[in-house]
Amino acid sequence: MKGKLMREDEGYEYLVPPDEYLAAGVHIGTQIKTGDMKRFIYKVRQDGLYILDIRMLDERLKLAGKLLARYEPNKVLAVAARQYGQKPVMMFAKVTGAEYVVGRFIPGTLTNPALKEYKEPEIVIVTDPAIDRQAVIEATEVGIPVVALCDTNNNTANIDFVIPTNNKGRKALALVYWILAREVLRNRGFAEFPYRVEDFEAEL
Amino acid sequence: MEIRHCVTCNATLFGPNYIAFPCPNCGEIIYRCKKCRQLGNHYVCSCGFEGP
Repeated sequence: MKGKLMREDEGYEYLVPPDEYLAAGVHIGTQIKTGDMKRFIYKVRQDGLYILDIRMLDERLKLAGKLLARYEPNKVLAVAARQYGQKPVMMFAKVTGAEYVVGRFIPGTLTNPALKEYKEPEIVIVTDPAIDRQAVIEATEVGIPVVALCDTNNNTANIDFVIPTNNKGRKALALVYWILAREVLRNRGFAEFPYRVEDFEAEL
Repeated sequence: MEIRHCVTCNATLFGPNYIAFPCPNCGEIIYRCKKCRQLGNHYVCSCGFEGP
């Protein structure tokens, strides 16, 4: 099986070496599998953990970079309520010029112009659709597309573009947002990217 | 006015009950109706890209 996988991967160029993906644990899923995420799952491990396909993640990150680069920088909103997602999201926003909401997503942020936190993005990227569901609900209400980092236990209701990854790990989130930021800038025509993955990692 | 259809179920779209975004692969505008989004239905762009 491994040999077959290696042959299929010949000629495909990953954004970062596959070993780096494996070291960050982006492929580690959960013990729960949903029907929506079934097609992104590579195998189930002996201990019951579902393993995500890193080739699909890589392809999706390339496409997400292209998609986000089509929008004005300040029209992208990155959301993370999860603790380990906050630093990566803040760095992603700083690097790409996007807006961000970390911690509690105040209801009305996208729908109530009377709020001082009111924002009018054109696309939203959420770290976990289960935890950031308020952002997904409000984006749906105002009619803007949602990009989401989904693990094996997530549903893809109201999501327009899924990035299948481990959305719980500290290193996994840092690596995914680092690659995404780099891809967005590449697609906007910037060749230089002077940041390291460690800059995106949340403190322990 | 141009009549828009959901890329999955081909329903005619009007009012605020749909979402439009460029295909991540080719940039062609994809329209998805509220129902298909809520159900997480698959969509296929004319370039071959499969979502969500």
